[in-house]
Amino acid sequence: MKTLTVGERRIALDKDGYLADLDDWSADVATALATAEDIELSPEHWEILELLRAFYDEFQLSPATRPLIKYTALKLGPDKGNSLHLNRLFKGTPAKLAAKLAGLPKPTNCL
Amino acid sequence: MSTLHVLSHSPFGDSRLASCLRILGTHDALLLCGDATYALQPGTVPFDTLQANGCKVLILAEDAQARALPIPDWAEAIDYAGFVELSIQHDKVNSWL
Amino acid sequence: MAKSLLLISRQAPWSGPGAREALDIVLAGGAFDLPIGLLFLDDGVFQLAAGQHAKVVQQKDLSANLQALPMFGVDDLFVCADSAAERGLAVDALALDDLNVLGAADIAALIDRYDQVITL
Repeated sequence: MKTLTVGERRIALDKDGYLADLDDWSADVATALATAEDIELSPEHWEILELLRAFYDEFQLSPATRPLIKYTALKLGPDKGNSLHLNRLFKGTPAKLAAKLAGLPKPTNCL
Repeated sequence: MSTLHVLSHSPFGDSRLASCLRILGTHDALLLCGDATYALQPGTVPFDTLQANGCKVLILAEDAQARALPIPDWAEAIDYAGFVELSIQHDKVNSWL
Repeated sequence: MAKSLLLISRQAPWSGPGAREALDIVLAGGAFDLPIGLLFLDDGVFQLAAGQHAKVVQQKDLSANLQALPMFGVDDLFVCADSAAERGLAVDALALDDLNVLGAADIAALIDRYDQVITL
């Protein structure tokens, strides 16, 4: 099994690099996951990660790209709820990558 | 518009047939295959319901034959070629999975 | 123009994979912007009962998942009035907003409006 080392902790990941246990997530874990993806988390990243966790809390699933854009537009306005902004932050695959950094399961509706 | 409704589950202890008959459109037809052909068992509620309904009923002949079920005069027996033909004749096929 | 699809979901939520599979098809279709409708028929209306607890039967929370339908662009949601009435569910107390309540004749017309239909 893959693991991620954060300080003293070793955190279990699934085969695609997503957290095996959603409860393992913390800001430090997100930062370590981002580093592994060559991303330095900015405030703009963090607000999307928090948004994703709110989405998961509400709907109990990880959004595909379209619902992620729609939800972001609903909560943060159209300036941020668009594919350009999200693609720029998350290397062109916002649904998969942002879900990973937010500690959510891999979106199942991204075929 | 017409829909071919395809049923393959036994009508005994299953609500598909009753539910399907309730929402059947005027131009629709009903095809019974597999265990759904048990609806042809004479003297049963599904048999009487279908007979009284008067809708167009098609039967996949080999499935009825395998189960020793007679084809009543209000239904029409077809083979797989007929099944394909029917699927083309209708605007869509609704398989009750 | 993509072909429109009506998904008829008629399985109770915790009896097997049917209800989950129906929702997965609809969510996947919505994610690809397909014109898609979802009708709750027969025991499928039990998916809409309020106050369910998926966790106690070790299941994923289907009720919460259903709330995501508008986010996936699925706004054409229908429930069979007779199915709900037979099962003692009041259509104005179901756990999903903006449901269209349809009688049997309305459902035949609904199926006619779509290019394709899948019943699970």
